[in-house]
Amino acid sequence: MHDLDALKAEAKRLLIEGVVDMVIGFKAGDTPLHPQPAFFKTAEEVDQLVYNALCQNNLATYLTRFPKTLKIGMLVRGCENRSVNALVFEGQHPRESLYLIGVPCEGIIDWRKIVEQTGEEVVSVIEQSDNTVLVEAKSGYYTLEKDSLLHESCARCIHPNPVSADIVIGELLPEGDPALARKQVAEFAELSLQERHAWFRQEAERCIRCYACREACPMCYCEECFVDHICPRWTESGTTPAGMQGWHIVRAFHQTGRCTSCGACERACPMDIKMTYLTEKLNDDMRRKYNFEVGLDATTPPPFSTITLDDKSRFVV
Amino acid sequence: MNLILKKDQLNHLLDAWRKDYEVYAPQSLQNYTHFLPLQDGFELAFDKAHNTRIPPKALFLPTSEALLKFTKFGGYEKVPLETAPRIIFGIRPCDAHAMTMLDTVFEQERYTDPHWQARRDATVLVGLGCHVPCHIGFCTTVGSGPFNHAGLDAILTDLGEIFLVETLTEKGERLFTQLETASEEQSIQASKLQQDAAASMPIAFETEGLKEKLDQNFDSPYWEEVSRSCLGCGVCTFLCPTCFCFDIVDEAQRGERVRNWDTCMFRTYSLEASGHNPRPSRVERTRQRLNHKYSYWVDQINQIGCTGCGRCVRYCPVGLDIRAMLRKAHQLPSEVAHV
Amino acid sequence: MSETPKLVLFQCQWCLFSPADQEWVDTQLPENIHLAKVPCTGRINPLYLLNAVQGGADGVMVSGCLPEQCHFKTGNIAARRQLEEFSDYLNHIGYEQDRIRFLWLDLQDRGIIQKELAAFEAQITALGPAHNLATRVNETAGGANA
Repeated sequence: MHDLDALKAEAKRLLIEGVVDMVIGFKAGDTPLHPQPAFFKTAEEVDQLVYNALCQNNLATYLTRFPKTLKIGMLVRGCENRSVNALVFEGQHPRESLYLIGVPCEGIIDWRKIVEQTGEEVVSVIEQSDNTVLVEAKSGYYTLEKDSLLHESCARCIHPNPVSADIVIGELLPEGDPALARKQVAEFAELSLQERHAWFRQEAERCIRCYACREACPMCYCEECFVDHICPRWTESGTTPAGMQGWHIVRAFHQTGRCTSCGACERACPMDIKMTYLTEKLNDDMRRKYNFEVGLDATTPPPFSTITLDDKSRFVV
Repeated sequence: MNLILKKDQLNHLLDAWRKDYEVYAPQSLQNYTHFLPLQDGFELAFDKAHNTRIPPKALFLPTSEALLKFTKFGGYEKVPLETAPRIIFGIRPCDAHAMTMLDTVFEQERYTDPHWQARRDATVLVGLGCHVPCHIGFCTTVGSGPFNHAGLDAILTDLGEIFLVETLTEKGERLFTQLETASEEQSIQASKLQQDAAASMPIAFETEGLKEKLDQNFDSPYWEEVSRSCLGCGVCTFLCPTCFCFDIVDEAQRGERVRNWDTCMFRTYSLEASGHNPRPSRVERTRQRLNHKYSYWVDQINQIGCTGCGRCVRYCPVGLDIRAMLRKAHQLPSEVAHV
Repeated sequence: MSETPKLVLFQCQWCLFSPADQEWVDTQLPENIHLAKVPCTGRINPLYLLNAVQGGADGVMVSGCLPEQCHFKTGNIAARRQLEEFSDYLNHIGYEQDRIRFLWLDLQDRGIIQKELAAFEAQITALGPAHNLATRVNETAGGANA
């Protein structure tokens, strides 16, 4: 559980002292399962700050909306900090005009897992200090284990701590087990080619091309996405299998060396489509083949941005 | 005409319908429910979720549909219209009401969309009223209701062991010829339940004077504030039963002219060939969404263009709540000085 | 399996140094091999491969120059990581890795392309037609949510 008072105090200080023009965080949602991203411009507004395990968006996605000259403060958990680093590396915002309030993260709750147990009509959700979550729903009261509600990306997170924040508020957490991050990829790879394909096809076919995944992702900031191109026509824009599959294949691929495994894409999807099994495969390949981890700093170029004669690969010579 | 359908007879009735119609009803798909055609051994999923994720408009305006197939050398053929008889069972009144609004778009005097019309003519809508209305829906606020009849050919009221069936059109009547007439008591019981259900729903925002407030505040800084966290995805519009916008594109590689769902929330929606975009940022686009639903639709058909199904509230990835946005909009000043 | 496989060859325009080899590709390429010439393998966006695969290609070959011999100095190296990762990735979701072959030719090579193509064709024939991702072929609009 986070020290909300300390977070507020720091956010207020930044605004009062003019260190930043705006602090990005969260505020209470109008519905119990969804705190909303919030943009505080005055110390007074910071009183609305809310920060808990239901805050399910990667705030770094908002960074590319603002002019690079704007001084922005942001509350960042592990993955968000790494996304910011990746964005800074790509020149999307100068590090000097960012102030990162780092918050070690115990994981984001997937609201779907609450609803699965309590039914849709949730009245309130309260995080307790003993790692349980008290939910009042129309169907009754429930005390649920927080660990069982975590979004899968969080359950296998390796880097819960902010890596390059200007200040860290909260106790640092132990790093996650890399084997855990590998597990999903390894298990999927164990399936036969046809089984993997069937899974991929089954997930992709629910897609309605709303692009919630793209908009929720901090690294998807292209003014013109590849799906908007008519010439060349990379991907069909409709819900044909070619279109839906092409969309998922390529969006994930464009994240190679850029994805911080935050899972915001899956959480945003209205059709509950799984897609991290694609990005995690690519992230795993980057680790294994190139010893590269996204966002640990804002200066190491990702593998696709570097070229060397020494690559070992399965080429026919 | 009021009839009684015993709950243990329901599946039998659906199977009887299946002989002459393709019957769609909410069934389980992954975490949610979806209108799927009934197959042998079907399982209805009304208990799993109050309403389907995707509204039944998708059965009339598919997410993608081919309109023409063409060859490189100029030949083309139209895709045949779908006229197979269908029944949509268990559609909620909010969604059915929305269908009548979409009819005003697709079936106009000057031009009627033949694909839409063919599907509409071939389909019977049998509604299931909400005897326990959902929390997030706000149908009564916007002129609809948990037992609203608009758009329905028949409506069912859940009375515990039985459904009371009210047939509303000839199309609906034809489906229920084998049922017993309801007693006076049962009709009264249903009527009371329906009124109580509607009365139990709190008013989500004031609609009196709302349109005027929106019109007067077109240039208000409020829109910048309310659109800040909006991601600009298409979830609210695609899941909305009254949204209908589409894009037609030629997929040259497969030789089809395709109509796809489109949304005013995308930058490319209003992007013109010259490069000019009359709605260049999320501010204009979010403003457009609220204005279209709660002001421009009123201009067009004298009804609010929203039936309060609540999907946009439930599934917005950043938790934006249109009810709250409108409550705040209503508090904006009546006259805004134009700068 | 007797069906002739549909193959696509993305050929860098410089990699066939011998005029005889280039002429063979330009005029005598077997009918089941579709040629797409590119100025350098570095030009190949992985999406070109995807387009070929979704269009029904049973196998895709990319032929380019050896690392030190790129006409544009490092174009082919830039291609390597992305294209290799992409083929690995497609394997992950159902398009066998062996269906995508990279052929890096030495300037001094003669008559290699013909042999490699023939060998590749034999290999693909043994694998059979690729159905999994060939979605642009014969599938009309309308997904699971239609």
